[in-house]
Amino acid sequence: MSKKHIFTLLSLFFTFLVSSQEENPTTKDSVKIENLEEIIVTATRTIRQLSSLPLPAQIISQKDIQRSNSVRLNNILNEQTGLITIPDFGGSKGIQMQGLDGAYTLILVDGVPLVGRLAGTLDISRITVGNIKQIEVVRGASSSLYGSEALGGVINIITETPKNGFHGNLNYRISSFNTHDLGTTLSYKKDKLGISTFFNRYSSDGYSLTDRNELSTVDPFRNHTINPKLTYKFSNRTDLIVAGKYYNQKQDYVASSLLKGETKIEDWNTHIKLNNKYSDTWSSYFEFYATQYNANEYLDDANSTSATDAFYKQLLVRPEIRATYNPNDKSSFIAGTGFNHETLDRTDFSEKPIYNSPYAYLQYDGNPTENINIILGARFDGHSEYKSQFSPKVALRYEVNDKLALKGSIGYGFKAPDFRQLYFNFTNATIGYTLLGYNAAPEAIKALDEQGQLAIISISLDQFDSELKPENSVSIDLGFDYKISTTLKLDLNLFRNNIDDLIDNKIVATKTNGQSVFSYFNINKVYTQGSEFNITWRPDNQLKITGGYQLLYAKDKDAEKAFKNGEVFARVDASSPSFQLKKDDYFGLFNRSRHMANLKVFYNIPEWNMDTNIRGTYRSKYGLNDKNGNSYLDSYDDFVDGYAIVNVAVNKTIYKNYRLGLGIDNIFDFTDPQNIGNIPGRILYAKLNIQL
Amino acid sequence: MNFSKKNHEHITKNSNSMSKTIKFLIVVALFVGFASCSDDDDPTPLVEVKSESIVNLHAPVEGGSQQGAPTFSGEFTKFDFATGKTTTSETEWDIAFRGLSIIVNGGTSAGTTDEPIRTKEAAVYIASGTIASVTEANLSMFKQDSETGYAIPEGSGNGWYTYAGDPTHLINPTPGKILVVKTRTGNYAKMEILSYYKDAPAEPDAFTDESPYFTFNYVYQPNDGVTTF
Repeated sequence: MSKKHIFTLLSLFFTFLVSSQEENPTTKDSVKIENLEEIIVTATRTIRQLSSLPLPAQIISQKDIQRSNSVRLNNILNEQTGLITIPDFGGSKGIQMQGLDGAYTLILVDGVPLVGRLAGTLDISRITVGNIKQIEVVRGASSSLYGSEALGGVINIITETPKNGFHGNLNYRISSFNTHDLGTTLSYKKDKLGISTFFNRYSSDGYSLTDRNELSTVDPFRNHTINPKLTYKFSNRTDLIVAGKYYNQKQDYVASSLLKGETKIEDWNTHIKLNNKYSDTWSSYFEFYATQYNANEYLDDANSTSATDAFYKQLLVRPEIRATYNPNDKSSFIAGTGFNHETLDRTDFSEKPIYNSPYAYLQYDGNPTENINIILGARFDGHSEYKSQFSPKVALRYEVNDKLALKGSIGYGFKAPDFRQLYFNFTNATIGYTLLGYNAAPEAIKALDEQGQLAIISISLDQFDSELKPENSVSIDLGFDYKISTTLKLDLNLFRNNIDDLIDNKIVATKTNGQSVFSYFNINKVYTQGSEFNITWRPDNQLKITGGYQLLYAKDKDAEKAFKNGEVFARVDASSPSFQLKKDDYFGLFNRSRHMANLKVFYNIPEWNMDTNIRGTYRSKYGLNDKNGNSYLDSYDDFVDGYAIVNVAVNKTIYKNYRLGLGIDNIFDFTDPQNIGNIPGRILYAKLNIQL
Repeated sequence: MNFSKKNHEHITKNSNSMSKTIKFLIVVALFVGFASCSDDDDPTPLVEVKSESIVNLHAPVEGGSQQGAPTFSGEFTKFDFATGKTTTSETEWDIAFRGLSIIVNGGTSAGTTDEPIRTKEAAVYIASGTIASVTEANLSMFKQDSETGYAIPEGSGNGWYTYAGDPTHLINPTPGKILVVKTRTGNYAKMEILSYYKDAPAEPDAFTDESPYFTFNYVYQPNDGVTTF
């Protein structure tokens, strides 16, 4: 099949070249080297130049997203330095950042958070990139501005807003596995009023990496996104944005040849923001955000009797007001306060929990001298269920000269225990293990014991007496930006995240069926440290080469101690005698690669109205299982081999408003069916974009 | 009378020690071999300890239903360190195996079906280390079985094994767990379980390899009162 496809692609490509030569000469691209100052809002919640920030931050431009022909958010994030998509055991794709799991990265759309972390990770593949203006990535703990979940960093997706006049576009991409992505944006703006609607439909037959059984790695699915937006300018001082979003997805759910069903996801949100400018120095906004995430899944057996039926319904309502004070152009203050109201109704829960959390934050951003920028921020999050959290942050940037700037920041991040970690009471129907939330556990264990389901209770129940603490982190980033010349620049960031009170499940009892009962505890202290390095070379407007590298050490502190003290043992194979491991044998946390790198070459050929690019990513070996049973990942465990993925794309504009794209993702057809479920192998695609 | 009795006693005593010495020498000869025999002038040497291996000790278990209370049953396979063999004796055993459970001939029964009565004062504890690095029995650590649980705790990661769970479902001995046993005769032994599967495959498969078949290495200290190995 792939040979045939390659042939088709090649022939299309040649047709392309021929047609482009026929069309020659077109009007020569005379755009000057892009030197626009990139603007970022995520780092300070104010409009800031990216290049002057004291924090490690990055912008992924719409242009790069379009040139890469990405479809979902995970596609494009995966190509950025130090970011990698990691599927959790529920299949949700989260982003690992600075070595922290997807559960520790806050995902925002236009500054407000997405919900629906069923198993802790927010599935970023549910986000289409079709209407994204830019993606902002801020690394390091940022709870001083955003509260819970901003430990590893923040990813903020900025969507398009209506521009003057009538605009419209239509996108269609067809690719391997019968995958279709159709998107369209219509927008209109005149005088005070702007309206836009974005629609996307994405469907696929899914894929199967093994022929072993009838189970697919990814089952067929289809989803829709509708995103209407309205902007209204009452005056030069007051404007309003009203945006909504609706998303649904249906996916087959096949658990075995006899158990079949469907998974349904529905997600909507409303976002209203009223901006007011009172004077040159004072402004404010009022924001109201509500979002709901519903997921349902069922399995029926061969006789169509219901085997399982599960639901998940999460609601978040958040009003917030904020004031900005700019006494002069050297300093700005922001102060905001808001309230999170969150509820969850879910199968396998011991109750319907409600979280109420008022919060307030304050930030000073100033330039005491021309060369120094300082940011001081802090946030207080009260919580109905937990100890309140105070999250400070300090960041400093010093411009040594026109070429070199040093920057450093230190901040606190936390992640409140989620509903699941507190109230879960779940027994897996097919395998038979039980997972209990911390607050639900004591009662549930007693109940299981009374029903005679427990063989052994391995902990004492008074361990549940004290409250579960939020996971928290102190993160330090130190780095520099260096502009070697107008065409060559590089940046380096050294990071360290000290994470405490990590919540993990551990076995609390063994059932008579041989399976375990797990519950959640503050168990581990870990750290992640390393460096991120980026280099960009842009000799002219035609060529852009970027390279990125992340070095990562992610380790558990207690594990390090155990190795150092010679308390850890291993076997060469399952049945050979134990021997003592050395300090150096400790590899670190699971699913972390020591090295990750990317290299991207974007090349424009204006005379042919074409652009092409080749993007490669690499991750070094990592461990997924503690094969030898000593509970640590050591050099005698099995590792997933390092691998590289190379994507190529060619795009061509014809008749000004039509743009054709062809490409191959994962050109060398890399797969690892046993260990990596989210890499389907080579994907061929063709894409058409029409500007209306 | 008195004299003769005394004399007789003396003779008996003498012959006792004589036969002990002979047994001792035979044992030494058997274990150590002639080549390593020491000079006659040397003080009586201790019996040298030696590493032994037991392969495929079959320890079947019945029951263990999916719901309700555990209903494990079946005879335990008993092991005697002094002979280095399994035994069916009700009393002359040190440790015994049934499925994942290992019991010791000391303390009280947990009351499962077919569980033997403890008749002696054997005890056990789990040390961290390799079979070579555990060089002395720590007398303060020994535990005996009780109604509430065995001296070797059950459950994955608690005692001698780790259950890998989905998808391999393997039971493998946890690395670095050395069982130190005080035998019913007050001698000491250390053992390391190597496999739960028949013929101790290097890459066991829980679905095809037969279990429970214990393979283990042990070192028995035959000299009374000697706590080192």
